Amino acid sequence: MNDGAVHITDLVKTYTDDRGRPTFTAVKKINLAVENGEFMVLVGPSGCGKTTTLRMVAGLEKISSGTIAIGDRVVNDLEPKDRGIAMVFQNYALYPHMSIFNNMAFGLQLAKKKKDFIKETVTRTSKALGLDVMLERKPQALSGGQRQRVALGRAIVRNPQVFLFDEPLSNLDAKMRVQMRSEISRLHSQLGNTMIYVTHDQVEAMTMGDRICVMKDGLIMQVADPLTLYRQPENLFVAGFIGSPPMNLLKGKIERKGGGLVFTESAEQNAVTVPLKGLIEPLAAKHLDKAIVFGVRPEHLTEGSSENGSLVPIPSTVDIAEPMGSESLVYLKAGTGNLIARIHGETLFHMGQPLTVYVNTDKVVLFDPETEAVIR
Amino acid sequence: MWNRLLIRKIIAHSVLIASCALILIPFAMVVLASFRKGNFPPSTLWLSPEQWTLDHWKYVLGIPYREVLNAATGETKLVGPTVAPLRWFLNSLLVSAIASFGIILLSGTSAYAFARLKFRFRGQILTGLLVLQMFPQVLTLTAYYRILNYIGEHFPWLGINTFAGLILIYLSGISINIWMIKGYFDTISPAMEDSARIDGASRFQAFTRILLPMSAPIFGVVFILSFISMISEYPTASVVLQESVNRTLAVGAYSLLDEHEKLWGHFSALAVLSGVPITIMFLLCQRFIIGGLTSGGAKE
Repeated sequence: MNDGAVHITDLVKTYTDDRGRPTFTAVKKINLAVENGEFMVLVGPSGCGKTTTLRMVAGLEKISSGTIAIGDRVVNDLEPKDRGIAMVFQNYALYPHMSIFNNMAFGLQLAKKKKDFIKETVTRTSKALGLDVMLERKPQALSGGQRQRVALGRAIVRNPQVFLFDEPLSNLDAKMRVQMRSEISRLHSQLGNTMIYVTHDQVEAMTMGDRICVMKDGLIMQVADPLTLYRQPENLFVAGFIGSPPMNLLKGKIERKGGGLVFTESAEQNAVTVPLKGLIEPLAAKHLDKAIVFGVRPEHLTEGSSENGSLVPIPSTVDIAEPMGSESLVYLKAGTGNLIARIHGETLFHMGQPLTVYVNTDKVVLFDPETEAVIR
Repeated sequence: MWNRLLIRKIIAHSVLIASCALILIPFAMVVLASFRKGNFPPSTLWLSPEQWTLDHWKYVLGIPYREVLNAATGETKLVGPTVAPLRWFLNSLLVSAIASFGIILLSGTSAYAFARLKFRFRGQILTGLLVLQMFPQVLTLTAYYRILNYIGEHFPWLGINTFAGLILIYLSGISINIWMIKGYFDTISPAMEDSARIDGASRFQAFTRILLPMSAPIFGVVFILSFISMISEYPTASVVLQESVNRTLAVGAYSLLDEHEKLWGHFSALAVLSGVPITIMFLLCQRFIIGGLTSGGAKE
């Protein structure tokens, strides 16, 4: 069974104006292999080409060059209905003049399926989604969550090889979003179909994806599972995009001081200096006296020395503290820049309070500021 | 305080009553003139019982009646069942209904192209349509006459003096409708048709089964506006249709006001009658022109 695998090869999308002249290139020769049964999330800021890519897979957007294959078939020239896909849209796109039943049955009716079959399929699917009591209603009588569930149901009855989601949760309120998130995840584990899910929300990406494809300006920045993406970002963009609050990124260079290696922030005065000990030391040695970006996650700036690893103190003052209960996000002034630390919630911090945080240098990531790539 | 409120109410109501009167009084005068003996122009809001007659309505509806020729001698004349007014009425219905459907068909499909398809000079053509709309159609009347005359030489059913020819001209004045319908299409999320295409609908099916039903209100509006304007259209119809029997209502009604004999009573009855199909059409279309029909399918 390899029917649901999606292979994207050298895919390019260039938009044109009314006269057919190229205006801008939304997708720049990307390659991506989605395995059969995989939940792949495309994530990135708006305008990164993720939705365009999804629409090309769906067949709603013409491919400028490259190929898309679903299963063993190249689908470039196939109509959307012949590609074995179903799509859920951001604004639900339910047909307002049709009942919920007809909304879900529309595709099957167009495919000229038998009436009994349509009725049975729609009834079964609507029951599974808890929509069976409202089949006769029109979409406008439903709440946002229910509408998106109808859109899901409409996709399910098509029995596609690949589900495509275009930011399906961004119109829902926060609570509904969390609920639908787990509902879609559950659906994925029940059906086992390939799903390609576009979102700009990195929390959705992290919580739902088997793998995540981070895009920027029409290019793929990194494809990896959520934890790899978080722990081993391959470039500055992924490091800054994944994680909330984002990774602390300090510009500076590596110098030799007092027999050890030290990261020094490039600043006129009060520059942060971090002695680089432990696992990071051999890496840093290779970039002695070179410009570098020093990255550390907020949770690797800790208050105490209880953590394992190579801890290095940084003196700082508290700027703003956001106590969340279980933890506090503390915005620190250190050197010229700001640092964000994620600290256990036992103590309350006040503005201006001096605080020494400890950097776990084993968890530090270094980037080359020119190529923006990680240094390994 | 109470006084000021009262004064404001009085002023507001006076304005409202005055504007209602402005519309209703002339209408009432025409209705009364259609029930008044003799052919007097609509002028008063008073009808004494002895002036009351149904003759004008009988004339218009083709029912035979006796016309008093000389009140002093009591000499009367039987006016046979007239055919012309009812024919005019039916002619108008036929032309207006067919042309309105044609307008919806043409402007709906054109509007779809302008709203959803990409092609060269799309913007320029749209602007051109708007500019064209600014010139009154009457200006082109002589040109239309020549064109119809020429067409009639080759296809007699489409020339001067044919309903088809008149409908053809009516169908040419649709640019404002294209703009209106395009504006409505623009408010409908393209995701609707994307979704339909994924469901397996062809472009045409997505248009007829999704976009058209969702746009019912604007089509209702366009239909009723075209219908009204064509029922009461005079200049074009008077040039194209020249035989008495195939006149439309407006042209026929005006022919009653001959230079030598102005039949104001007949005219008034016919004018009131012409309001009937408009009213019926309006009631029928009202069903489609309900707001909120499209809400709930998409969220922007």
